[in-house]
Order: sequence, then C-alpha cells, then structure tokens
Amino acid sequence: MNIPFEEFRQRLEGFLIRQTGKDVKIESAVPLAGGASRDMWVIELSIERSHQKLVLRRDTPTTMHEQALTRAQEFAVMQVAFERGVRVARPRWLCDDPSVLGGAFFLMDHVEGVAIGRKVVQMPELAAARDLLPEQMAQQLALIHSLEPPDFLPRPSRTPAQDAIHYCYTVLNNLGVSNPAFELALRWADQHAPPCDQPTFVHGDFRIGNLIVNPQGLAAVADWEFAHVGDPLEELGYPCMRDWRFGVGHLRLGGIAEREPFLQAYERHSGRKVDRTAVDFWEFLGNVRWGVICLAQANRHLSGREPSVELASLGRRSAEMQLEMLRLMRQMGI
Amino acid sequence: MYDRPTIDELLSAAVQHFETQVIPAVKDNGKLYFQTLVAINVLKVAERELKLGWSHLLAEWNDLNALEGQPRDLPSDPDAIKTALAERQQQLCARIRAGDYDEPPHETALFEYVLGSVTRSLEVANPRFLQTLAEEDKSKSSE
Repeated sequence: MNIPFEEFRQRLEGFLIRQTGKDVKIESAVPLAGGASRDMWVIELSIERSHQKLVLRRDTPTTMHEQALTRAQEFAVMQVAFERGVRVARPRWLCDDPSVLGGAFFLMDHVEGVAIGRKVVQMPELAAARDLLPEQMAQQLALIHSLEPPDFLPRPSRTPAQDAIHYCYTVLNNLGVSNPAFELALRWADQHAPPCDQPTFVHGDFRIGNLIVNPQGLAAVADWEFAHVGDPLEELGYPCMRDWRFGVGHLRLGGIAEREPFLQAYERHSGRKVDRTAVDFWEFLGNVRWGVICLAQANRHLSGREPSVELASLGRRSAEMQLEMLRLMRQMGI
Repeated sequence: MYDRPTIDELLSAAVQHFETQVIPAVKDNGKLYFQTLVAINVLKVAERELKLGWSHLLAEWNDLNALEGQPRDLPSDPDAIKTALAERQQQLCARIRAGDYDEPPHETALFEYVLGSVTRSLEVANPRFLQTLAEEDKSKSSE
C-alpha cells in the first residue's frame, strides 16, 4: 500500500459515505495473507453503528495478468453468481476510479473460513468438511456452469482446448524458451484435444486454495478474475492437478478425496455426461499451462520489472508440472 | 586456487545464517518468513546444481546423441557444452513443431529423452518431489 494508512482510511471512508449516504467509520484494515496476485484487506467498519466486516480487493500496478478480468468485470461476475445462489461472498461496492486508492477496488462481505490450501487439506478441525467438499464442489460447479455469461467474458476462438494450447505456444515464443518437454506435450495435446460442443461459463481457477472452507464445508468460492467461457470439463480436471493437492498427492481431487465420486456428483447435479478421458486430458493440459506460466512468472523477476525471489523460484518449480504432465501422458497411453 | 571456504562452503554458510539467524527473527512477519524460506530453498537448489551440474550436462549430451542417432563430439569446456546444448535443443524443438516426432517410434524415443531430462532437472530443483512420487507409485502398485 503506497498511500499512508491514515490517508487510505480517510479516502475509503469518504468513498463509502458517498456510496451509502450514511455515517461510516473505518475501525481497522489488516492485510490478508495469501492471494499473491491481488492486494487484499480485511476491513472492519461501522455504518451508522452497525458493525460490518468486509474484504477489500484492489488492483496493484504490478500485478496485471493479460488474461485476467478487471475489478469492475470481476465484481459484475460475482454479482451474477451471487444472484443465482452460488456460494460467493456478497459483492458490495465497486470503485473503478484509480485515484481513490491508487487502483480500482471493490468491497465484499467477509466470509469466515480457511482458504490456504495446505491448511484445508491438513487441518484436523476440517476433516468433516473434507468429507463434504467433493459433493459441494460438484454442486457449485454445476451451478456455475449454468450461469449466463456476461458479454464481456472472453469466449473461445477455436475449441477451448485449442485456445489453451495456442496460449502456451504464445507464452513460450514470447519468452524465447526452447523446451522439448513442453514442445512434445503441446504437439501431443494438439492431436488429442477433445472437442467441446457446448462451452459454458467457467470460473477459471476453481481449486483448493481458492475455496473458503469452514467446518460445514464449502463456504465461498473466491478469486473470480479468470472467469471465461470455456469447456465445463476443464473445470473438473483443474482441481485435480497435483500442485493443488498441497502435499496429499494420492488424493486426486485437491488432496481431499478420490476423483470418481466427485465426477459422479457433478453428473447428477449438472445432468451432463462426463467423458473421463476428457477430464484426464484437461488435468494434463492444466499442468502444461501452469508449467509454462511458471516460466513466465520467473521472467517477471528476470526481466528486472519485479525483483522477487518467490517469482524467480517458480522458474525451477516448472519441472514439477513438466514431470506430472509426462506421467499423465503415459497414463493416457502415449 | 582460491582460499577456503570453497563455493559449497560459502553457500552452506549463507543457508546456515538464514536458518539460524534470519528465520527466528522474521517468524512473526508472514510474508517475509515465507520469502526467506523460498530464498533458503533457492540456495539449496544452487548447491545441488553445483554437485550434479557437470554429470547432468554429460548425460544430456549423450541422451541427445542417442535420440538423434548422430553422435556429436563433446565441446572442450563446460561453457561451450552449454551453448552447444542450447542450440541443439532449439533445433530439436523446431523439429518437434515440424512434426518429425509425431510417429510412435520417434515419439516414444522423444518421450523417454524428455522424461530423463525433466527428472534430472528435478534432482536439482526438488529431489523430494521425485521421492514422494516414487513412494506414491510404490504404494499404488502394492494395493
């Protein structure tokens, strides 16, 4: 936060007074751990003596991702989801004017629970929640995939799989990377990409780590900035990726459960028949894409734009995704 | 040539400093604590690369020779090997994109080559990841 705290508090108060026409007092603002790509704050305030706990999500100049939605778009997507009954924090106020807090931001209700992936898969207090999650995740995904996509959402120009492959090639070309493992995987992906008859609204980053979990299970689906129109099956393979199992590798669904009951629950809730081979493929392609993005993240450091040991280290973590993509290729019968 | 500490000893001195002095001091600063753990890990990657880098370079060269079926002589010094390897890999990538490895015998050979190459990367970057996968495969096959 580049603005001094007192100024931040005053400006936010001023914004909320204009929005609500009521007396607003900010009591505290604490940065939220996690959420590497966005600036997040837990804000406690009173609006005419009613105490409220909110989360502020703000753009920072260095965290732009070319495929991500703007704050205004993300806010609109969350409104659509909230109105249709998806478990999502209620979006409250949007400020698209960067001069107020140095970047566009919005406020949403604070949802109690744990989001940090490692804790979700390991905390003994969440054991019962982990039993409920596969069914709840499937049910929420079925609902999300039935949402009417707003006009501004990116739509596939080829099939969704072909788009993802094309994106990976573009990133590799831009970086000037010659990596035979990715080349083999992308070539193979191109020849085995599943068709997609009916693209739907997809969340785009639906996995453990982006789900707020409490003892009753799934409390809220967070991080909507990668929402787009895509293949609903990509969103069944994605939460199975090894990196989102947070160390509990043998449980394919996000380190919490076997995959099959989750897929069956999704079929029941969505009325869609799920092609298991296509889900395998999307898990594989998810690893390719994340492995390629790791190289791009390292480049943010290497280019000197954003010196960060954390970004730098992702360059060498890419090999984990590369090995996993090769293992999945072999399972699929290369 | 140089006085001690050796390069390994220098790195391990830095790791020791981070682990025993810095980590306890930043324990309560979540972000800094995490970034310091990452920095320690980066140093450990460098330590492993120093140990394994040379043998990996040779293995990479030999595997490429085997894949291409046209053995090429090893350049004389490590830097020249690295440059030559980068060139060979660039050419290999171009051939993959051109479809030269689409058919099974070539595709299989390429798969085995990249599997070896990625495994070596992980021996440096994250040997524990390899170990965990091996254990997982073992317990799966014994089920």
